[in-house]
Amino acid sequence: MRRRTFFGFVKSKLRYTTVDETLPEPVAVAPSERVTLFFDQPYIPGEKLSLHPGDPVKKGERLSLTKDAGGYALAPKSGRIENISGFLGIGGRRFTTVTLAIDDEAHQTLDEGFKSVYQSPSLKNAREFLAGLPGKPNLEVFFNPQRPVKSIVVLGVDSDLVGVTNQYFVNNAIVAIKTGIDTLRQISGIHEVILVVPHYLFKVAGAAGATIKTVDSAYPSAHPELIMRYILSEQSTPDVEPPSDDGVAVFTAEAVVAIGSAYKTGFLPLEKIVCFVSKDETRRLISVPIGTPVKDIAEAFHEPIGEGDRVIFGGPMTGVSVYSDNHPVLADTNTIMIQDRRRIPEVRDNPCTNCGACVRVCPVNVPVNMLIRFLQAGRYEEAVSQCDLNCCIECGFCSYVCEARIPIFQYIHLAKLTLAGMNPVEKNNG
Amino acid sequence: MDSTIKLTVSHAPFWHNGSGISQKSYNILLACLLAVIPGIYRYGYPALGAVTLSIGSAVLWEFLMNLATRRPVSIGDGNAAVIGMLLAMMLPAVVPWWVVVIGSFIAVVIGKQIYGGIGGNPFNPVAVAMAILMLSWKNFLDFNTALVGYGFAFNPVDPLVLAKSFGPAAVKDFKLGDLLMGRQVGGIGSSFGLGLIIGGIYLMIRGFIRWEIVLSFLVGIFASALCFYLYNPNVYASPGFHLLTGYSLIGAFLLATEDSSSPVHFLPMIIYGCLGGMLTVLIRNIGSHVDGVVFAVLIINILNPLLDKIRPKALGKVAHHA
Repeated sequence: MRRRTFFGFVKSKLRYTTVDETLPEPVAVAPSERVTLFFDQPYIPGEKLSLHPGDPVKKGERLSLTKDAGGYALAPKSGRIENISGFLGIGGRRFTTVTLAIDDEAHQTLDEGFKSVYQSPSLKNAREFLAGLPGKPNLEVFFNPQRPVKSIVVLGVDSDLVGVTNQYFVNNAIVAIKTGIDTLRQISGIHEVILVVPHYLFKVAGAAGATIKTVDSAYPSAHPELIMRYILSEQSTPDVEPPSDDGVAVFTAEAVVAIGSAYKTGFLPLEKIVCFVSKDETRRLISVPIGTPVKDIAEAFHEPIGEGDRVIFGGPMTGVSVYSDNHPVLADTNTIMIQDRRRIPEVRDNPCTNCGACVRVCPVNVPVNMLIRFLQAGRYEEAVSQCDLNCCIECGFCSYVCEARIPIFQYIHLAKLTLAGMNPVEKNNG
Repeated sequence: MDSTIKLTVSHAPFWHNGSGISQKSYNILLACLLAVIPGIYRYGYPALGAVTLSIGSAVLWEFLMNLATRRPVSIGDGNAAVIGMLLAMMLPAVVPWWVVVIGSFIAVVIGKQIYGGIGGNPFNPVAVAMAILMLSWKNFLDFNTALVGYGFAFNPVDPLVLAKSFGPAAVKDFKLGDLLMGRQVGGIGSSFGLGLIIGGIYLMIRGFIRWEIVLSFLVGIFASALCFYLYNPNVYASPGFHLLTGYSLIGAFLLATEDSSSPVHFLPMIIYGCLGGMLTVLIRNIGSHVDGVVFAVLIINILNPLLDKIRPKALGKVAHHA
């Protein structure tokens, strides 16, 4: 819970955390017995999979659920597959999880698949081996013939508060970012690279050899969607709805560093930089293999997770609270927060009092006070046509300032999910 | 992915700035006290009785409506208490008890609860109640007749009545400083201008009321009164006089700024406030009523939904040309 400023007539401001405030060097944390990997595919019991419990797995091995599946994960440690099951994520998204019982440090075996190709970098082998790297690089964008990529945007900013992963790389590893950018240029043949950094890192970022754009230190200016809207509005024709991100490939600084390092050394970096926030709000920068359960991280810092506490993956504004202390670090997890149950701000079912706090903070000028009335009444189409629901970038700021404590962000999310679920049905019927 | 413990799961965001409806209500009540306490000092026990009866009955009506409509009890948010307080501030001290109770009934039940409670009312509940009371029981709300039993050290005639009936020459004895210090007859909490201004500034700084509305309302009064004054200073009172008499200040700080019935975007707030100020002076100077604030507030409340359609284009939205 944060306190409202005494001077309420000024617009509420939330500042992003900067790297100087956190520990300079990340502390390494290792998984104790198991790691869990997520696959973006629903789990159907009885379906024939190419992975089976008991299969041995090498460190860095590509694991895919079925032979023709596009998505894969990289095993962060060698070991044996222990369990394959389903996982229901936020908004009804279905995943399959694969849990590995890992070998101890002395008996780790390495997969040599990438080693054989790393000296000839190409988009093809990047797509084949690197999509599971920390920072979750999306390499599929280069393979869409309908949308040729014209420029690459590298995010040296962290979209949510508290997280500092990308800023850490800009501040401490700008040379590695340059290597990564050069590698990306080489494999994609695209020369226009834009590096987005916070103002205070402008000087450091100059060494990356890319066009530098800076963003403000106030939330949510580093929100990827907002960055895209501003950058795109400078570059292409505005007046396209939603703003088209055609021709832009977006990577996080962490992903760029990982790609660069993979091609430089031949080893796949599988450790993720995560900001771990304990109950007393101490921040620690940690380096942890993807797939490590949050329980292990909490134990490493003697941080008890108790009944009714909240474990948050992602930041305080847009993250997801998980229901299990076994939930693993994912390739795009930048922040993990443990919130004591006594410090959880309550949400209420008050109606909107029309105080206008949300309207003042909305970064994209959505009339939230009207929108929430339509959403609470379940009139989602009108919310889109009259209150610009689709313009919302989902930063969560409106809920943060809501005087009536309405879970506005949740209503917005629900409305968007419902509408997204309706459209395919309408298309089929039409 | 089984968990040995039960975690709290909810939707983002996981932080909140800590603001709340009750916090706002209590701050408004606190600011009101700055104007009410001098009023009680001036008018004595009857004023204290009216204030407590008004707040008490407003809370009671809210509670009864909660029971009748089978909704969660909402008296804790303090909104009903604010309504009761504002109503009392506008009434003369010796108003009969049943007028207070009827007034709070109109404000809470007819002004707010039948629209679904807080946030649903299209009009300021207090302005609705005051308008109905003023039209129904004129004599009880006329400050000149109501406060006749008091011996004041100043001219005990409502300055607005004087100005309207006899022209500005009749009120030239009212110095602006005296008006500011509440040396005029008026409502329990609406005549001590200094208290209202300090309380109002506190609320504006804290962000509990929207400064845009307050300032534009005051500018609206000042500018239009100034036009009248320049046109004919022998017939129309000065702008300073209009600002410090009647319900001008309580209207600007506490009536026009009621959340639910006022706009939230910048330009609409300015138009809303200016219009309110202008209407106030128009009603006072050429209308038949002595004070125009209550009616002006009701009229701008009607305009609110229309005004609030003037808003900046959402980022990423495209105007669809027909």
